[in-house]
Amino acid sequence: MKQSVSLTVNDRPVEATVESRLSLADFLRLELRLTATHLGCEHGVCGACTVLINGEPARSCIALTVSLGGDEITTLEGLADDPAMQVIKQAFHDKHGLQCGFCTPGMLISTRDLLKRTPRPSEGAVRDGLSGNLCRCTGYQGIVRAVLKAAEDLAAS
Amino acid sequence: MNHSDTKQGIGASVKRTEDARLVNGQGTYLADLDIPGTLEAAFIRSPVAHARLGAVKVPSEYSNQVFLAADLDFAHPIVAATDDPQFQSTKQFALAKDKVRFVGEMIAVCIAPTRAQAEDIAQSCELELDELPALWDMDVATAPDALLIHEHWRDNIYLKTDVSVGDLERARKDATVSLSKSLSMGRHGAVPLECRGVLAHRDRRLNELTVYSSTQFPHVLRTCISRAIDLPESQVRVIAPDVGGGFGAKGNFSPEELTIAALAMKLDQPIRWIEDRRENLIASPHAREHRYDVTVHANNDGLILGIEAMIRVDAGAYSVWPWTAAMEAGMVVGILPGPYHVPAYAAKSQSICTNKTPMGPYRGVGRTGACFAMDVMLDAVARELHLDPADVRLLNLIKPEDMPYQSITGKQYDSGDYPEAARKALAAIDIGAIRSRQAAGEKDDRLIGFGMSSYTEQTAHGTAEWVSRGLPVVFGYEPALARLTPDGKLILHVGIQNHGQGLETTLAQVASEELGIAVADVVVRHGDSSVSPYGMGTFGSRSMTMAGGAVSVACGQLADKVKRIGAHLLQTTADAGTLSDGRVHTETASVALNEVAEAATLHPERLPEGEEPGLDISAVYEPKRSTGAFSYATHACVMAVDPGTGEMEILDYVVVHDCGRMVNPMIVEAQVVGGVAQGLGTALYEEILYDENGQPLSSTFLDYMIPGCAEVPDVRMLHMETPSPHTKYGIKGLGEGGAISPPAAVVNALNDALKSLGAEITQTPVTPLRVLEAIESGAVSPL
Amino acid sequence: MKPAPFSYYRATSIDDAITALSGADGMAAVLAGGQSLVPMLNLRLSPVDHLIDLRSIAALSRQEETPEAICYGALTTHAAFEDGAVPDGTNGLMRYAASHIAYRAVRNRGTLGGALALADPAADWLTTAVALDASVTLTGPDGQRCLAITDFVVGPYYTQIAEDEIIDSVVVPRRSAAERWGYYKVAPKVGEYAKSLAVALIDPAKASARLVIGAWSDVPLVLKAGASALLEGVKQHDLAVIVQNELDLKMPSLSPAERRLHTSSVVRAAEQARS
Repeated sequence: MKQSVSLTVNDRPVEATVESRLSLADFLRLELRLTATHLGCEHGVCGACTVLINGEPARSCIALTVSLGGDEITTLEGLADDPAMQVIKQAFHDKHGLQCGFCTPGMLISTRDLLKRTPRPSEGAVRDGLSGNLCRCTGYQGIVRAVLKAAEDLAAS
Repeated sequence: MNHSDTKQGIGASVKRTEDARLVNGQGTYLADLDIPGTLEAAFIRSPVAHARLGAVKVPSEYSNQVFLAADLDFAHPIVAATDDPQFQSTKQFALAKDKVRFVGEMIAVCIAPTRAQAEDIAQSCELELDELPALWDMDVATAPDALLIHEHWRDNIYLKTDVSVGDLERARKDATVSLSKSLSMGRHGAVPLECRGVLAHRDRRLNELTVYSSTQFPHVLRTCISRAIDLPESQVRVIAPDVGGGFGAKGNFSPEELTIAALAMKLDQPIRWIEDRRENLIASPHAREHRYDVTVHANNDGLILGIEAMIRVDAGAYSVWPWTAAMEAGMVVGILPGPYHVPAYAAKSQSICTNKTPMGPYRGVGRTGACFAMDVMLDAVARELHLDPADVRLLNLIKPEDMPYQSITGKQYDSGDYPEAARKALAAIDIGAIRSRQAAGEKDDRLIGFGMSSYTEQTAHGTAEWVSRGLPVVFGYEPALARLTPDGKLILHVGIQNHGQGLETTLAQVASEELGIAVADVVVRHGDSSVSPYGMGTFGSRSMTMAGGAVSVACGQLADKVKRIGAHLLQTTADAGTLSDGRVHTETASVALNEVAEAATLHPERLPEGEEPGLDISAVYEPKRSTGAFSYATHACVMAVDPGTGEMEILDYVVVHDCGRMVNPMIVEAQVVGGVAQGLGTALYEEILYDENGQPLSSTFLDYMIPGCAEVPDVRMLHMETPSPHTKYGIKGLGEGGAISPPAAVVNALNDALKSLGAEITQTPVTPLRVLEAIESGAVSPL
Repeated sequence: MKPAPFSYYRATSIDDAITALSGADGMAAVLAGGQSLVPMLNLRLSPVDHLIDLRSIAALSRQEETPEAICYGALTTHAAFEDGAVPDGTNGLMRYAASHIAYRAVRNRGTLGGALALADPAADWLTTAVALDASVTLTGPDGQRCLAITDFVVGPYYTQIAEDEIIDSVVVPRRSAAERWGYYKVAPKVGEYAKSLAVALIDPAKASARLVIGAWSDVPLVLKAGASALLEGVKQHDLAVIVQNELDLKMPSLSPAERRLHTSSVVRAAEQARS
């Protein structure tokens, strides 16, 4: 049961004919080979697959590709030149905000959104704001410190 | 340039080399591999806990896409037994034959171009299952008339052990208090964020079966696959690409790996299986599930005179290779006395077979439960005697002057000052202020409690330790091949597997220490049985000590050679040179590594007479004593409990930690904090419950909760640094330690808080409802 | 963990969606935000043959204000409430409730109508809607009908929506400006479904009070005795006794620990409302 769909991925128009059951995550990963988006649970809880749909974070594992006609999708790859994302990545490196790296792309995308909505968050706001992105390695301490540093660096820049 | 400013060797918090690819989404995990023509696999797994397996009805259109046990009859079953003759062993076939023994056991494998299609095929098949009663709990499995899960066994117990050391009679007689309690720790998953996965294909040019697996031990897995399907090891290559966390659960030889490898070989077809989260929660090896009946005999001051313990572990339906089903209980028996001086000790253990998922290694193996039992009991003794638990702990901790110390179970604690760690923790958390705050009461009527826990953790187990366990393999050493390339850069080929530990950075730091080379000029290659000498992999808090030692030895030898050549190029004597900043220095001149390397590799005519060309040095490292290097720590925490709702909050959490010489303090802290988060999961959130039919009740992240960002406190860490006398640089392992103490520290804090209500917690995870249940059955009602 | 095959149709209007629903052979389901439905599809727990997507129906994203109430189109997202992007007549209660649903990425897609259609007893919107006396407008082949939320929800995961109906909108009566609210949620983790959820509303000037307890094993319950006591200004301890007695009467299956939990959250919500 295939269906055609046109959408924009990382600023590039994409036309595809896909099975109606194909998730956005699988579409990005398998059809477009954009593998920064990771699948950690496939039922919308862990946050590893978080991407931007029309600029807003969303779980790509529970978004259906066919339902996204006309939408703009942005993955971590599409944010390579985004100035805020560069600052955030640097902060994650500086503050040891990642270990195995599997949750990292989703974590980075959620961080960018959090800092966009709350430019100078408290530690508590960071913890609540990232509660939808699970990390099994870091105990979150490095992540929280990275987000606070990124907030500072972004405010300074 | 000031050398000390740029030091990147041992002790420097060098930022991680591996971050660059990972923050840019360029990590390559198993599901990211793109091997042309790969078919995706979905398993048909048993929907019931215990049944005789009849026919599997496969729709005719899928007959070439579904494979059963009979299709893989050339593959040998997985057998993991200890050398104890009493151990009752299991045979786990790639796919179930005749009988299924737990929900999630693999019955068939379906292959198709996409995973969705493979799942469609799986769903279209019908299973004939003649259901048997589910032995879903260890009490059920050990009831007198219990059905046998493995028909040829005596009973449903893999192994019973019984040790008794010291004069227990006297301990019982001399004791002022003999306190007995039953404690339990819930069944758990390791839950790496990347689930497991395997991709196997035959490389026709090399006549080699290449198996990609999200594994912690590629070489060992190569041996397993080679033996299981009768291929020479030279025709098997195992590659672990980027691995998204393991925590022990990826350090086994799994039936999934066996099935995919065997099927890819049989069909000469690339096949991949990516575990989904439901499979991960129901079929990836589980952990913990301990029950304890403990008696502590103590005198009036709380001094331990003797301990008696019955330890029962629900080890599930099969024995996991190579650790065996007796691993958890065995480790508990050996380490239950922990960092305390225990003069008399008797422990019985049972590793029980049930119709549940097999039990495998998970961060803290055995020790998290043992520490929980021991430390919760110590606090109970303190309460019984109206003493402060901190005083009781300090009284019983092994004194630094008694180091090295042989524990009552024969463990050789190598070094450290255990009481000092406890004192530092008490000072850092300000125990006096907590006691005052408790006396004053809280405005919001919450109850405040303080808890602490101390452990000692055997790490970097060497040959002697593994031999004593009688496992199929002895993981006593680690290799490294150090290779200086003609441009003066270094490649380290190592047998460990880095999946978050930062070993691409820390092993480079060791090289930097020995060769004076910048970390940025060192590449660490790992996780591939074809790129390094045979190595054992990453588990058991061993990689930094073992592979670090091997890198040190190889780079040390390489340094000698580089200095000889450098000195020759500088026309001076061979022993005059030193290495730093990527150069060989003499008192008057220096030469860059790339010039030395070029001479050694491309211009042998420039070498001193008798010097062999080439700059590849391979070395193997074993610690001087193979009984392990013991890290230790004290965790202290303050909890608030809401007696109305059972909600809990961690107000403060302090860790004082000693893992010997720290290679990279930044990474050490993060490993500890990561462990604490998992330990808090054990303490407060994570549990895989089963119903009376043996159905697992936690098969998604909606019902199995791991701590999120808001649930983990900002952990305050203090370091101590007592070098191990047995290891290179005095390094001790530390990967698991953080996960050991949290359940004990948290439960002690809760019991301290609930003391006024006469309520007591004896079970993890401590959910709000369990707190309320304890309050309801306590002596005093807060309403 | 991939869904079984299904057909997909993007409806262009409410009528179009109803026609597609009525004409479907096999199981048809409508897709709103998908934050609960698609996980169920991925887990193959929800056998759906035809999926009818409502996202292009602009009418379902509308908000309409009247002096008495605000009507929220079924597709109004949680994030829209959280961000204050839609009008509010509840003195911020809906905004607060919305911001405690799951996580931001879920709130961006999840919808009010979708949440109520699922009727998960542990969800924030259901208890909130009961507390606010909301009503649900359903559209089917025979036109519209409007049900009070307590009539709409029959039991856990069970509503009055017929197979060929969709939720058009949710009508929330405006509260008096003087009314104060309390919202107490006990969840095992930030963002998780509640284990207990109580909402309290009190407007002494209008002599009105309302207490609702949700997130137990059944649909939310309105506690009348508790509400009267709240209005009378009964002190906390006595309020707890009254609430506990009412729970014993209406929720006799609760264990002592559960009874303590729900009593506490009701009393906390009440205290918040009158503080």
